[in-house]
Order: sequence, then C-alpha cells, then structure tokens
Amino acid sequence: MMKQVNIHFPLRMLGLILGLFLSVSAFAQIDVKGHVKDAAGEDIIGATVRVDGTQTATVTDFEGNFVLKANEGANITISYIGYQAVTVKAAPTVEVILQDDQTVLQDVVVIGYGAVKKSDLTGSVTALKPDSKNKGLVVNPQDMLAGKVAGVNITSNDGTPGGGAQIRVRGGSSLNASNDPLIVIDGVAMDNNGVKGLANPLSMINPQDIESFNVLKDASATAIYGSRGSNGVIIITTKKGRKGSAPQVSYAGSLTISQKKKTLDVMDGDQFRNLIKDICGTESEAYSVLGTANTDWQDLIYRTAISHDHNVTLAGAVGNLPYRVSVGYTDQQGILKTSDFKRVTGAINLSPSLLDDHLTLNLNAKGMYSFSQYADAGAVGAATSMDPTQDPYAYTSEYHKAMAGLTTDNFGGYFEWPTGAAFGDPAWPWTYERNATKNPVAMLNEKDDRAHSRAFIGSADIDYKIHGFEDLRLHLTLGADISKGRQFTDHTSASPSNIYYGNHGWEQITKRNLQLSAYAQYYKDFGKIHHFDIMGGYEWQNFWRSKINNYWGAIPNTNPENPGGFYNWNLYKYRTENYLVSFFGRMNYTLMDRYMLTATVRDDGSSRFQDHWALFPSVALAWKINEEAFMKNVSAVSDLKLRLGWGKTGQQELPSDENLSVDYLWIPSYDISTGTNGYYPVTGDGTLYRPKNYSPDLKWETTTTYNIGLDFGLFNQRFTASIDAYLRKTTDLLNYAPIAALSSYRNQFWQNIGDMENKGIEVTLGFKPIQTNDFYWTVDYNFTYNHNEITDLSGVTTDGSPVPNTSVKIGTDKYLQYNQVGYPMNSFYVYQQAYDKNGNAIENAVVDRNGDGQITPDDRYFYKKPAPDVTMGLSSRMEYKNFDFGFSLRASFNNYVFDNISAGMTNMNPNEVYNSFHALNNRPVNAKSEGRYTYAVTAQIVDRYVHNASFLKCDNITLGYSFADLFKCGNWHGLAGRVYGTVSNVFTITNYDGLDPEINNGYDNQMYPRPISFIFGVNFNL
Amino acid sequence: MKRFIQNIIPAAALTLLFGMTSCTKDLDVTPIDPNLSLEVNYDGLFNKCYGNMALQGNGGANGDCDIDGLDGGTTGFIRQMWNSNELTTDEAICSWGDDGIQQFDYNSYDASHPMLNGYFNRLTTGISYCNEYLRVASERDAQKTAEIRFLRALDYYLLMDAFGGVPFSETLATPSYKTRPEIYAWIESELKAIEPAMADARAKNSSDFMYGRADKAAVWMLLMRLYFNAEVYTGTAQWEKAAEYAKKVIDSSYQLNTTGANGWSAYQMLFMGDNGESSAANECIFAVLCDGKKTTSWGTSLFLMASTYDTDMDATADDPGGNNGTSEKWAGNRARYDLVHKFFPNDNAPTDAQGYQMKVAAGDDRALFFSKGHTLRNELGYFGDFKDGYGVAKFINYKSTGAVVKGSDAQFPDTDFFFFRLAEAYLTYAEATARLNGDQTTPEGTELINALRTRANTETKTVYTLSQILDEWSREFYFEGRRRVDLIRHGKFGGSSYKWMWKGGAKEGRSFSANLNIFAIPADQVKGEIKQNLGYE
Repeated sequence: MMKQVNIHFPLRMLGLILGLFLSVSAFAQIDVKGHVKDAAGEDIIGATVRVDGTQTATVTDFEGNFVLKANEGANITISYIGYQAVTVKAAPTVEVILQDDQTVLQDVVVIGYGAVKKSDLTGSVTALKPDSKNKGLVVNPQDMLAGKVAGVNITSNDGTPGGGAQIRVRGGSSLNASNDPLIVIDGVAMDNNGVKGLANPLSMINPQDIESFNVLKDASATAIYGSRGSNGVIIITTKKGRKGSAPQVSYAGSLTISQKKKTLDVMDGDQFRNLIKDICGTESEAYSVLGTANTDWQDLIYRTAISHDHNVTLAGAVGNLPYRVSVGYTDQQGILKTSDFKRVTGAINLSPSLLDDHLTLNLNAKGMYSFSQYADAGAVGAATSMDPTQDPYAYTSEYHKAMAGLTTDNFGGYFEWPTGAAFGDPAWPWTYERNATKNPVAMLNEKDDRAHSRAFIGSADIDYKIHGFEDLRLHLTLGADISKGRQFTDHTSASPSNIYYGNHGWEQITKRNLQLSAYAQYYKDFGKIHHFDIMGGYEWQNFWRSKINNYWGAIPNTNPENPGGFYNWNLYKYRTENYLVSFFGRMNYTLMDRYMLTATVRDDGSSRFQDHWALFPSVALAWKINEEAFMKNVSAVSDLKLRLGWGKTGQQELPSDENLSVDYLWIPSYDISTGTNGYYPVTGDGTLYRPKNYSPDLKWETTTTYNIGLDFGLFNQRFTASIDAYLRKTTDLLNYAPIAALSSYRNQFWQNIGDMENKGIEVTLGFKPIQTNDFYWTVDYNFTYNHNEITDLSGVTTDGSPVPNTSVKIGTDKYLQYNQVGYPMNSFYVYQQAYDKNGNAIENAVVDRNGDGQITPDDRYFYKKPAPDVTMGLSSRMEYKNFDFGFSLRASFNNYVFDNISAGMTNMNPNEVYNSFHALNNRPVNAKSEGRYTYAVTAQIVDRYVHNASFLKCDNITLGYSFADLFKCGNWHGLAGRVYGTVSNVFTITNYDGLDPEINNGYDNQMYPRPISFIFGVNFNL
Repeated sequence: MKRFIQNIIPAAALTLLFGMTSCTKDLDVTPIDPNLSLEVNYDGLFNKCYGNMALQGNGGANGDCDIDGLDGGTTGFIRQMWNSNELTTDEAICSWGDDGIQQFDYNSYDASHPMLNGYFNRLTTGISYCNEYLRVASERDAQKTAEIRFLRALDYYLLMDAFGGVPFSETLATPSYKTRPEIYAWIESELKAIEPAMADARAKNSSDFMYGRADKAAVWMLLMRLYFNAEVYTGTAQWEKAAEYAKKVIDSSYQLNTTGANGWSAYQMLFMGDNGESSAANECIFAVLCDGKKTTSWGTSLFLMASTYDTDMDATADDPGGNNGTSEKWAGNRARYDLVHKFFPNDNAPTDAQGYQMKVAAGDDRALFFSKGHTLRNELGYFGDFKDGYGVAKFINYKSTGAVVKGSDAQFPDTDFFFFRLAEAYLTYAEATARLNGDQTTPEGTELINALRTRANTETKTVYTLSQILDEWSREFYFEGRRRVDLIRHGKFGGSSYKWMWKGGAKEGRSFSANLNIFAIPADQVKGEIKQNLGYE
C-alpha cells in the first residue's frame, strides 16, 4: 500500500521564505476556495493543502475541493502521493493541477514477490507508469512500452488489428528456445502461449487499467523467478480504488482513422501490357492472355479504417473497501479489408484492509471477450503480383474467352487463373491454377475467418501482518488464468485456397493455468544501522492446455458421385500440461542506509525434465555514494548509487510443438497417427504407432548475468540518469540439433548444447528543462546497445558448418539465416554479388570466396544480422497552462533486412512473368532496371538484397487541452477532462527502400502494413 | 473477526505444508495427450515400419514429418531415392530453385546437401523404427518379424548403395561403422536368415491382404540386386548368384502385364491409378502404397507425376486439359536429351507430340514423351525452364478401367509405386548371364529382353550386347529411380567413359571423379566411428 511521503524541496523552501516576506505586507486573511485535479483532469481526493509556515492545513474532499483561511498572497502548498507538490499564492479561488511525478512513483518498485523502495534497489529494474497523454494507438499494453525502456525492444508483428508483438529484453538469451520475457499480471505468472484470437497474454488486459509496468532486467532481479527469468520479467500492476475516496465515474474515449501509408510501386495495366509486348512479343501466347482492364489491385484490398475505443471507470471506497470497476470496449478496424478486432474488457478490483490494516486483501477479476475477424494476409502479396490488366470480376482476354465453358461462376464471380479441373464434375470444367497468383479480392471475400475469445484472470492477494509480531508478514496469492478461444474458418467453394470443396470448421484452444504462491516476509532493524528484510516462499503452478479442431470440405451438389458429401473430414484433439513447483527466498540487508546486499535463491522443479530440480542463485550489492560524508556537501548531486549484480537464471520455455510434445520430452511413448489420410493399411486399419523420441538428459538453459549499474541525479532530480552495463552468458542452450543416426527415433532433437553471449549498455536519462506552475516540460531518453554472439555450437555442428535458422525459409527449402560461432544469432548467410566495372550487379554471378574455382554453397558468407546494434527512444512532454503537447521518437541502428520483395519479384525472365501455368505475374516498376533472370540461389540469396534498415520513427504526436468546470451549473461542479488529437506512426526516416524497415526477423516479405492513424479522444470525469 | 483470523492462519499453514509435500509429486507427470500412448500397438508399429516408405510422417501429406531439416514432402523416401538416382544421370534434369537440385543436376553434391541428408535420415530413421519393432515384438509373429527384418535390410541396402560405408546398429544405440563390404555381408546373411519365415512368393493385387507387404520374392529381388552389383559393392562379382535369384523370381507366380485396356498400353498400366487393382498388379513384387483418400504423400507417386507435368501436357487425348489426372502439376523434372536419344537414335522425334502420341513415332510403347513446345536438347541445363527438354508423361492418376476415369481424389493419386517389378528380374537375368557369356545375351536372356520389348510393341533382336542391355535398362526403367546404379555397374557414371548433357555441369558433359559414385555422409553424422567417404573429407 502506498503511504504518504514527505518530499523536501530546498527550492521550494526558498519560495516559502519569499512567501513569508510577502506575507508581512499583507495581513488580510481570506477564504481560499480551491480545486485540485491531476493532469488528466481527474479530481484528486485527499490531497494535503497547507499554508506554508503555518499549522493551517486541510485535505481535499471527494470532489477535489478545499476551503481554508490564509493571508492573501501567502504560499499554499498542495501535495499528494505520486504527484509533484505545487505551491500557489493564496487567492479567493485557486485551480491547481498536480503533475505526475515519475520519481515519486518510482519510490516504490514492484519486484518479484514484494516491493522495495527505489532507493534500496540493488538490481536493474525499470518502473514505468504509462504516459496517459501521449500514448498513440494503444490496443495492446505492449504498445505503451515501445521505445520507453532501455534494454527492452518491442516490435509489433505487423499492422493486424489486435496483433501481437515481439518483446525482447536485453536481446534474448536463447537460440532455439523462447526469447519472450515472463509476464506477471498482478502476481500471476502468465504462460506465453496465446489462444485463438489472443495474440499474447497481454492482449487480454485493457491498457487503460494498467497502473504500472516494472521491467526486471538483470539476474539479481529476475533470479527470484528462477527457471523463467532468463529473458527478463515484466510485472504489470493494475489500478486500484483509493481509500477514503468518493465514487467517481470517468470516461475515456477515442475515435481513430487509419490509412495505409504507401504501397509497393508495381506496374499499372498499360505499363504491364508494354512489358509483355517487349519481352514476349505481340504474337506470343502471353500477349494474348493479357486483359483489357487497368486494375490497381492494391487499391482494391485496402480501406480507410475507422476504430473507436471507450472506457468507463467507477472508483471509490465504501468504508474500508476501496473498489475500482472498469469496462472497456475497443473496435479496431484493419486497413486490409475484412480485418477487424472487437474487444470488451471488464475489471474489478477490491482492496480492503481489515484488522487495523493488518490484513490487506487485493482481489482482482479481469474478464475479456474479443471477436477478431481475420483477413487473409496473403492478399497483401497477391495484390502486388496479380496481373493489372485483368478485370477483377471478368475474363477480358481473347485467350480466356476462347476457353470452352470458362466463366467466373465457379470462382464466385471473380477472375482467377484457370486450369483444367480433375473433379469429375461436369459443372466444374475449370478450376483455379494453384501455382498462379490468387485473386486478392477473392482471397478476402471468399474466406470468412473469425475468432471468439474469452479470458479471465483472477487473483487474490492476501497479506497478513501478524498481530503482536508486526515484523512478520504472511502473504498468499491465488491466481487463475483461464482462456478459451475458438476460431471459425470458412472457405467457400470459390475460395482459391480451397477451390471446389471449400473448407469449413473451427479450432478451439482452452488453457487453464493455476497458481498458488505463499511467502513469509520478516523485516527487522537491529541497532540503528542494520536493516534486514528476509522472505521465503513456495509456489505451485499448473499449466493446462487443450486444442480441438474440426475441419471438413463439402462436395458441391453438382458432383455426380457424392453430391453434398463431406470431403476430408478431420477431427483432431490435443491436450497437454506441465507443472512448476518452486521454493524461493530473498534476503535484503542494509547497512547504515548506504551499503546494501541482496541475495536470492530459487529452487525450481519442472515436470518438463526427468531431473526436475535446479537451483538459481543471485547476489547484488549497492552503494549509495551520495549518503557518504564526503558527498554531503556536493549539493548538486541528489542521488548517486553504484550497483553490482551477479546471478543465474534458467529458461525452459520451448516453442510449443504438438508433434514433439514439449511437455513430455523425457517420457518414452508412441505417437498415434492423426487425420484421415495418414494410414498405411498393411495390417489392421493402417493406424501408425511411431516410437517417440525422448531424452532423459534434458535440462534448463542457464544464463549467468553480470551487471554493473550507476544511478545518479542532479539538481534535485531535475536531471536523472541510470547507466547499466551487462554481460550475459547462456550455457547449455536448448538447441534443436542433429543426433547421431540410429541412436534416436528422430534425426534431430532438443539437446543442451552450445553457448551464447550478450553484452550491452543501457542508458536512461530524464530531464526536466522547465518546471513552473504554468509551464512544465520533461524529456526522457533511453539508449540501448546490445551485441549478441554465439560462442559455441559444438555438437550442433561437428565440422563447424553453419546451422540454418529453419523458421525463415525462401521457397521450399532455402534458408537465409544461419548460426555460427563468432557471429550474432540468425545472421544472413549469403553469396557475395559480383559487379561489373560500372558497378552494376552481374546476373547470377557471385564471388568465389573460397577460391576453389567453382561456385558452391561454401562460397556463402556471413553478412549482417537482423537485430539492431543500438536502439533509442526519446519522448517529450510539454504542458503549458491547459495545453499539453507530446511526442515520441524511436530509433534503431544497424538492423538489417533481406528485401525478399526485390529478390522475389524482380525476376524479368519471360518464363517467370508468364509462367508455364499460363498465368501472368506483375512486376515492380523498377524491376526492369534490376534485370534479373533466374531464381537460382546465386541470383536470389545474395548480399545485394541485404540492406541496412536503420530508422528513426515518430511513433506519435499529441496535442491536448484540459478543461475543468465545463457546463458548471448550480451545485454541480461541471465536467473536468481533456480533449486531444494524436497522430500515430507519423513518419519514418530511413534509407531502406521497402515499405517499412521495422521487421522482426529481418525478412521483408509482404507483411500486413502498419497504418498511419489519426486519433481524436476525450476524457472526462463526472 | 480476530478469532476467525486466529483459526484460519494455522489452518492455512497446515494446508500449505500438506500442499508442498504432495505438490512436488505433480512433477512426475503422466502424459494427457490423447495422441500419445505409453503402450505399444504392435500392428501400428508394424504399419509404421512399412509406411516409412510412403508417408512423410504420422498424418498424411499435410501432417507432421518424421524427418527434421527439410520440407515434409521433400523428405519422401521414394522422392529422394528418385532424385539421387535420376537427376544425377543421363535421364532427368530439374530446374527448381530448391537448394540441392542444381547440385544433383550437375553432380556437385557434398556433405551439406540437404536432400541427401534428408534421404540418409529417412533411411536411418526407418531402421530405428524397425529396431524398435524388433525390440518389443520380435517374439510375437515369426513372419511379421521376418518382414520387419527385410525392411531393415532394404533400408541398409539403399543406405549402402548411396553412401558406401554406413552407421550400423541393431538396437537404439550409438552406431558403429560398417564398411561397404561389411554391410554387404550383413545384408546377405540377414536376407538368407529371414527367407524361410517370409510368406511364399505369390502374385497378388490390392484385394489381397498381403498386397503391399514383402514375401519371399521380395527377398529374392533384394538379394538379386545385391549380387548383381556385388562387384561395385565388394569388388567381387556375383553374376551367377544374381542370375540364380532372378530365376527364382521369374519362375514364381508373378507375371508381366502384357495386355492393355481401354486404349492404355500394357506398359502404361504399370504407372496408373489402378495399378494395384488391374492386371498390372501381377507384375509388382513389392508395392509402395498410395491412396488418394487414405494414404497421401507429396513424396511418392504424386511427386513422380506432378513434378513431370505442366498444364500443357495431357495423358490422354480423350481428356484435354486433364493433364496427369491430378490437380498437381509442378513443372520440374524432364528428360535429358540422352534419354530421348535412346528411343530416337536419329534425334527425329516429332516436335509437337503429346505423351500418348510419341510412342507411335518411336515404335515403342515406352516412349511416353511430350515434345510440343519443348526443345529436345537441354540447352540451358539447370537454368532452363520446363520446356528445355522433353516432358515425361509416364506416371498418371487415370485408371485403366476407362478412357477418362480418374483416381479417387482430385489431388492425391491412387497410383502405387512398384518398388520391385518383375521386369527387373528379366533384365537382371539377361545381363548377369550375358556377363558370363562374353558380354552377349544367352538365348534365354534374349528371350527375356524380347518379352519386354514385345510387351512394348517394339521390334526384337536375336542377341543383345552389354551396352544395348544398358540402354534397355533405361528404356524399360527410366524415371523409376534406379539409373545411377546401372550406370555405375557399367562403369559409366563417375569417370570419362560416358558423357551426357550437363554431366558434371558442362553443357556437353564433363567427367567427374568416380569418388562421386558414392554420396557424402551428411556432415553432422561424421562423428564417433563414422567416417566420411573418400573425396568429401
């Protein structure tokens, strides 16, 4: 619980003295009536109002009003926890706006299983209160963290409404295992697997309900989470009601208009007709296939999207029972037609304290219902390569008109590239040619893909300070995270991906995670200089998950053999679970308020490994240098602290793979065949039993982190800085790697082999250039440098040959990124382009780098990597009187991207433009100058397509105006609130030629584009 | 309230204590996945050992894959046996961009070749499945145990044929290394040991429960192949033994398919959607099963027909636009010049023939080539498109029960792949006896070759030389996944005695070292006792 803290500002003392001077000349006492609110216009209840230099003081009432007597012109100071104190001159009416104080907020930092004062912190932890004013387009909570925290990189996957993001804390510690941080919401640790319709566990939380994020980065902070701490921990605390507060209703709403930023510059109908004339001739079949239309396919699939968002909150307290209830509704339309995300969230928090505040309860229930309508994102790519001379809804070429019986009827009225059908159905003489580009409009309209998801997170925190032995607290957390998502997918019989039979059905994923944590915490001061804080606890977690899917095709009624029958009806069921049982403890010891020691240990038991148990320790030291005698006189330095930390953390989260059963990797068993077409009936019905590979030796990856940090503040924290340097060594990497033949039932399997290293520097700067009553300006900046290097792969590869990253594939089996000792993970492994003397790339000619006289795969080399070296974030917020103005910038340096759009679409070979399937493929306007003619690997997987995609992005710009007393009449104080306008994803400065340089895995391949959005919003309190 | 608290705290503490001790037991999980079984199903494991030759994994064509590191369809047993034995020779060339294709086409494969790694792993994984069956079920059914040992010997044979010395183990264990002669000897003794327990040799079709399983004739066929190539494998020729086992098969109840149906030739019927049901089944000694509904794969007969067709090729004049009878046409593999040349020694093939028309011009039912819009010579080699060389219209999903009857599914074929067919015994007998007869066929050998040629409606001769026999192997068995072995046996693969277009990557052919007769052991398998082959270290 928060408590009142006194904050002393020597500068304010000066004002106070001045005020005293002034008060000598003006004795007349007046009634000062005032109203206190926060920057968002919310009334502040219970703020302390004091006439400086006197005993006269009061607190604000439920509506933020106060009345007191003071000499006219006297200084009145208004203070409230979490806000910066403000001093105003006494006048008959005063209006006071308190500004959030980040440093005050950070006074208490939530860490695992408890909280500490920021000043006592020994580890690398960043606390962040979301910027309520300049937040841009926020649908998922992670959007609020992007660019805000040093060492944390957040990259949204793409522009899908309600979509997920990649979150990396300090570069990630794993090669093949998960690099996602652990997310803890109100004490409940989430698993990282979403269900249908939920991109990640964060998407079930309404961003408006979030009070704070705490990002634990180094091992001394995360080791308390043991086997899940290696990739950092993000602790989310949601908002609560306030004790002694009157019921208060507030509303926040916004309307967003989103548009595509730019599209790929491909040929229009006439340009393409000319191209075919040039390269194939007017007598060619290709020329006869050309249509007569001029279709801008990209224009047909995008739209201006309108989204809106509403939140209503009721907060207050009944006696000892503070409560907060909120309801939110989001409807986010995607710019790709047919994509839409609707979400309803509800949250209830009750935080009563009983028995003289000895027993405090914090009860949270959060519910969410979402409805996602997915567009077939393949339409993005199809729209760029679909022939622009074809009419979307008709056959216009003589070639097609001459094909007997060819109409658009079997294609839902759409143009599709035709080929002879083999359905044995006279009504379907032609079908869609599956090797040709699909009609993107048909892809969107002939597929109906939607998901309904429900999620519930409930947690009960019970904290009891033992009567008569108040130094000991017992704490119990019970948590449940239950979600269910069902995705229905219907392809009509005209849908090009499931032509004729169509496909219908659904998939449902249910997960149920239960958690019980209990710990006891003991605080004790010995003498005046020793302070102990010891905690020990136990945790039990069960992660249970099931999946059912059921899909079938429907044979059209015109089929002579089985009209209206089922086609390939498939039912699949899957269930899995795992347990974590842990014992953990932490000791904090502070000597003379200056020297701090923290030691933690966690003994984790996981059902995923045969040898269940492993121990994860950490130690950290901190030295508050500014408390030393020799620093007392250096008044400019308001804070100076050195931190040192060491610890070991683990990683056990493997990519969910039903085929491998990652929860049961150590248990010998057999896989039973699934589906209807995988029988081999040489005996019985042909069901297959495959001996499943298993490994009793698997264990955790271990990451050892060394961290050194320095925090300092100058001029009463007007300027603050935090610098951390770290070295993270991961050993026993969980690698999916080749195994000696005949010694296992699979040729590759999970093994603990290989080491990796991350080292980096993080800098966080806070600066308040202007701080006056009317004008307030803060600038926050963060800088992150991370270098990743693989230090050992022996076992994964014996002859030192690079190991492919199989998650990025070009074509069927061409890999782009490889891992090799001495290089960052997932580096591009490409041929080196040869150029002629004019500097033009020579088609299909690459450098024979090993000089053996021939071009072989051994001539590839490591050239750059997708992860940036340096990322930065800068946000500025200015408030002048009732106006506020803010912006956020984010930059990334030396992140490289393989431009697969150029590599894949610039092939000008007439046989590629008009392929053997009698279908034309459009080309980018610049393709002719590229002049490429093959898809040979030596023409495609070449360094010329790897580009530096460094960028500077402006995430959002906001202008807002706050008001009070709107429509005030009679006794009603009127509306207080704020109106604002925001532009989100405003601009990008980059040298990269593709549409967007920000690509998670460095492989630019026609992603759903991120839109630019214009947001108009209003918040008010009733 | 205070009393309530005073009661609840100890109660909670007790519950917790109880919880802690019992909850650590939760870590000893038992799988709840309904797709997993802790108990074996003997029939299911038996099916898996066989199914490894046809299926990529445990769930059909679009299900999971047993082998990691390659696309599921690409790991197909037949597909990689085919690629390694056809693309590397004078019969086939492919222009796909997949990593590995160019190296096959140009004989520049090495230890990091992805498809050879896939083939190696498909075979060794198959051996592990068989080892598992023998571990848990060897005492149950003598005939089934013998069949699994046969499958294991077959996997080892193919592994030895492709990779020379091999990793070896009869249980799930770190393998030892057997040189080519050592594994040869093991396969020989293993096959002889199981022969008595196998089912009797008997021609059958898919209505017979033994169809798709190996019988004594399959053991003889494998022994025959082993002896036939013994000189390559061990340095000592075994022509008599090869002829002996060929004769056993020839004298069994298996029969050549000599009568066509509904306009389809007798030869074409071997490669059609109902080859397991029609009279063609009598020629099949060991079938790899496919079924458009129940047994689907991207790597078996679908690969053979889809990779060789584009949308311009038609299998029958009666169904324009029907192509190969499936919806799949991938336009990849086509004939090298040298293959067509075997049928048209004067290079006078008609230039606008459909697959069903070429046989007339060739005077040979086996010339199932498509030339319309294609060039005869592969001018551009790997970099050429599908029209650069003739199309091969051999494998299709039409049924011989009518002119235009297609298989049961529009996408996946019913066409079984005849892993061993009787004609192989005919040619083996003819060649083995010719080797013992001054490299000229014996009258009995001539008769057998003529039986095949008569079936193909082409003229016969009274005697055949060794090189004519080698050409006959190509005419009879082209695109069936065995050419490399025949060329090696005749000394015409590695080395300079025979060149074909784009051999070694040069347009007119360039000889390469005979070291390349054996492929490289995959780099990540060269550890412990396992040695790399000569020339790849």
